Amino acid sequence: MIDNKLKSALLSVQKPARYTGGEPGCIIKNKNDIDVRFAFCFPDTYEVGMSHLGLKVIYDVLNKQDNIWCERCFAPWTDMVEQMKEKNIPMFTLESKDSLKEFDIVGFTLQYELSFTNILLMLELANIPLYAKDRDESYPLICAGGPCTCNAEPVADFFDFMFLGEGEYRTIDVCNKYHQLRKEGKSKSEILIELSKIEGVYVPSLYQIEYNEDNTVKSITSNVGAPIPCKKSIISDFKNLPFPTNVAVPMIGAVHDRAMVEVLRGCVRGCRFCQAGFIYRPFRERDADLINKGAKELCASTGYEEISLTSLSTSDHPQLESMLDKMLDWTQEEKVNIALPSLRVDNFSESLVKKVSKVRKSGLTFAPEAGTQRLRDIINKNVTEEELEKTCKLAFEAGYSAVKLYFMMGLPGETMEDIKGIADTAKKVIDIYYSMPNRPKGRGAEVSISVSCFVPKPFTPFQFVPQDTSEQLKEKQSYLLECVSNNRRIKVSYHDSETSFLEAVLARGDRRLSKVIFDAYKKGCIFDGWFECFNYQNWLDVFKENNIDMAFYANRLRDVNEIMPWDHIDYGVTKKFLIEEYKKSLEAITSAPCNKQCHNCGANKLLGRACFEYNKA
Amino acid sequence: MNTIRLKFKKTGLSIYYSQLDLQRVMSRALKKSGLPVWYSQGYNPHIYMTFTLPLSLGHESICESVDFRLNEELSEEEILKALENTLPQGIELVSATAPDYDAKSIAFARYDITLYGNGDDIVKALEEYDNITEAIVTKVTKKGQKEINIKELIKDVKILDKTDDKVTFTAIYPAGLSLNINPSLLLDYLHDNYNIKVLDALIIRKNLFDNELKILQ
Repeated sequence: MIDNKLKSALLSVQKPARYTGGEPGCIIKNKNDIDVRFAFCFPDTYEVGMSHLGLKVIYDVLNKQDNIWCERCFAPWTDMVEQMKEKNIPMFTLESKDSLKEFDIVGFTLQYELSFTNILLMLELANIPLYAKDRDESYPLICAGGPCTCNAEPVADFFDFMFLGEGEYRTIDVCNKYHQLRKEGKSKSEILIELSKIEGVYVPSLYQIEYNEDNTVKSITSNVGAPIPCKKSIISDFKNLPFPTNVAVPMIGAVHDRAMVEVLRGCVRGCRFCQAGFIYRPFRERDADLINKGAKELCASTGYEEISLTSLSTSDHPQLESMLDKMLDWTQEEKVNIALPSLRVDNFSESLVKKVSKVRKSGLTFAPEAGTQRLRDIINKNVTEEELEKTCKLAFEAGYSAVKLYFMMGLPGETMEDIKGIADTAKKVIDIYYSMPNRPKGRGAEVSISVSCFVPKPFTPFQFVPQDTSEQLKEKQSYLLECVSNNRRIKVSYHDSETSFLEAVLARGDRRLSKVIFDAYKKGCIFDGWFECFNYQNWLDVFKENNIDMAFYANRLRDVNEIMPWDHIDYGVTKKFLIEEYKKSLEAITSAPCNKQCHNCGANKLLGRACFEYNKA
Repeated sequence: MNTIRLKFKKTGLSIYYSQLDLQRVMSRALKKSGLPVWYSQGYNPHIYMTFTLPLSLGHESICESVDFRLNEELSEEEILKALENTLPQGIELVSATAPDYDAKSIAFARYDITLYGNGDDIVKALEEYDNITEAIVTKVTKKGQKEINIKELIKDVKILDKTDDKVTFTAIYPAGLSLNINPSLLLDYLHDNYNIKVLDALIIRKNLFDNELKILQ
């Protein structure tokens, strides 16, 4: 419980309830009845971590096992870090308040490259050695999961093992195996070799990387016979997969503070910049009735007034409209709002907009991603100008007057003409609004355009391309502002190009970056994704001190035959397919969504069958 | 439609929730309870709630209350039953009845405070406070800083219990709409003038009073 030391720390920091737990839905077990204690660590603040559906899924799945207790741990904000150091409070979980050191397995979720230093912060606050090689049997096993493990080579030296792909049930297997091996008295290295035999488990220390003189990877081998390639795991029967219907509800709010149901996994679209669109393949949808029933239970047990149907592309669920009709039967009565966070421009319908605005009207956001048709074809964002126009008309007719549009800059093949296209698109939307006689009365239109900097990611067709330099991106940003001039109906926001540059370096980095991340942490870098904490100069300095060229990772055109640092990892999609898609992008040739036509990406081998019944339609 | 006043205690882990958080907690609890609560009828319908007197983060209380409305008539027992297991650790329901006084009539609040440290030093500081005529502290408000003499507002402190390492005392503070004095102002004064450790103090709101010092309950 909360001792006096912790109490006086809590009364000295902002938002102390970040560190107390005790929310309805949080799970307390008797540690004497438990075989395996698992700490789920989110290397960012409580409010960010509690927005994450993956945490809720793992928490639910593990705690349904009688012999496992999964607890939560979040990165303390800087004021709490100070208190913990000063008062000698080790990094603790919210449920038992025990130090991470007392756990059997400590698992971090890797959602974002710029949270890597926070992992080191949390380990160090728990008095756990940062490098895996420095930890003997007396320490918990430290593991990682989440999207960034598809290339977690830059943090490979810190972890004992990693989960590749969908880890919710694999984690149970690993916990049980660990318990059995521990009981048999096996050593840490014996345990790791055994774990590496489980599909979807990657043990970085079992692989040796050799480099060429030009710093590219020469070879990736394993002298103990660990699997090459190391394959991700998936849940093949996603259709009937249960989901959490009771979750810990944050008392102090969260970034996304609403009930969430994952309606489908994977994506049929194949946008070439989108890592999620490739690493979460194959496409599988959840049963509509299961979603409806569980969503109702979830709202009743949490008291949430909004439910979000999340996925990469919710409107691609084949039964979306009928499912929404069934949900509206109870949501209207219960005053629950349905949110569809990933609507698409190309299948947005009048009935859909009516359904999502029945209880409360939330904002409308679309992602054309690029400002011209040519560039949209290059990135395979199959959205046409006409579709965007039609969609905006529908939205305005339904009473909306504000629309948010997402774009990227720095895309491969981009010219200043494409940047101007972003401003033109926004202006066009404004013109559409004022051309409509039946537009909402008394309000002016508002278009917010949010422009992020493109970061090339592993396992995408753009894994070969150079990122624009910070200078190029800054030039494009100021040109965009010029194009928008001072149209007061258009609001522009864009990402900081320096954080995007660091993200690009870490995303496609190799094992040599572990030392750099270690040094950056020791220099004081934490919460790098937070504007108020990001210290770019520190990062520049540590790369220089380590004699590592950041541009080598971020701004270099990679040959398609080059061995990538992640080539020993198998996420289903083949490198051959990625190369084909990359070559098509060079000629601005699009690929149809994969529920219309199979492009042989390779992900269907994870299912052991075709993803869709093509001749049915 | 009838108004219900829900009385509750806020102790333990729940003291770390702010007033804003408490609103969220209550609104979700009422929703989960399945009670036929009344919603505001505006553009963005929400459960109508009024808290009688906000409580500072970090303070405990055994006399908190919130008013809401029900569309149907229900017994106290039915209401309390429906709200079982809907609240986080540390919030304990006491009663659910028709409002017994107007929130506007609140004029004073009594707080018991336990200070940890050398008992003799703390008692000496409190006795000195009792004998002085002026105790100036700086109150930070939204409008800026203001110097006030808290001695005029917190007249007597009464020691309830003393041991070698802690002292509990009680005092009555102006509270309510027109003038609200947070007990932390007195603690700041004790810290700044007598070097008393106050950060880990246990502060409990015990009663509310009207302007004739009649207990409201």
